[in-house]
Amino acid sequence: MAQIQWMISLIPDAVLNWAYWVIIVAGVTGVLAGWLGKWIPFYGNYVKVLQPVGIVLLVLGVWLRGGYDTEMSWRAKVAEAEARVAVAEQKSQQTNTVIEQKIVEKTKVIKGKTEYITKYLDREIIKKEEIIKYIEQCPVPKEIIDIHNQAAEMNKAAEGPKK
Amino acid sequence: MKYISLILVVLLSACSTPVTVKQKFPEVPKSLVERCENLKKIEGDKVAITEMLKVVVQNYGMYYECAAKVDGWKEWYTEQKRIYESVK
Repeated sequence: MAQIQWMISLIPDAVLNWAYWVIIVAGVTGVLAGWLGKWIPFYGNYVKVLQPVGIVLLVLGVWLRGGYDTEMSWRAKVAEAEARVAVAEQKSQQTNTVIEQKIVEKTKVIKGKTEYITKYLDREIIKKEEIIKYIEQCPVPKEIIDIHNQAAEMNKAAEGPKK
Repeated sequence: MKYISLILVVLLSACSTPVTVKQKFPEVPKSLVERCENLKKIEGDKVAITEMLKVVVQNYGMYYECAAKVDGWKEWYTEQKRIYESVK
């Protein structure tokens, strides 16, 4: 059934529409001819054939036309949904760009501030006399450094042993 | 009347074509998928307090860089969810 629908979808819509109307008109003509033929002399023999053929064509034509309308209605809905999805994807992309820019900007500011504080430390703080005296007299004990380094590696304990 | 009934039955069973319209899963900004760096350790046994302070400052910086990424993830999720729900 899907293959038939696919094959039909290859035919231009306008051509299909015309074909379906031709079938309906042929069906109506057949039914009417069959009905009127009863009163026309010598034509009565064809009535037996024309009327059933007309009915079959009429039913087929109406069915195909109904299917065509349903198909067109679905295609319109699909096109509408596709348009909404396209808009959403575009918005999504724009949002990503905005977020990316924000993060880049924040990171730049943080890096800049870190660098500024470090340079300030080297440029101003270290040169102060009381600081120089403190540095000379009080190196940081190894135990303090170890505690700091352990704290810096807390994440390794949380990650667990590598497999 | 029986023909009309027949036509109605046929029309009611006319084909429908289900077509799925898929929305792509949104991409994630590159900066969000970058891993947060490990904090720096203090090298050496006898270290001046200023050297230790430099490492602490750098670690604070790294923490805030990572926090910016986490905030970015939250914003990304909230915005993408809002956009996704607006499609329905």
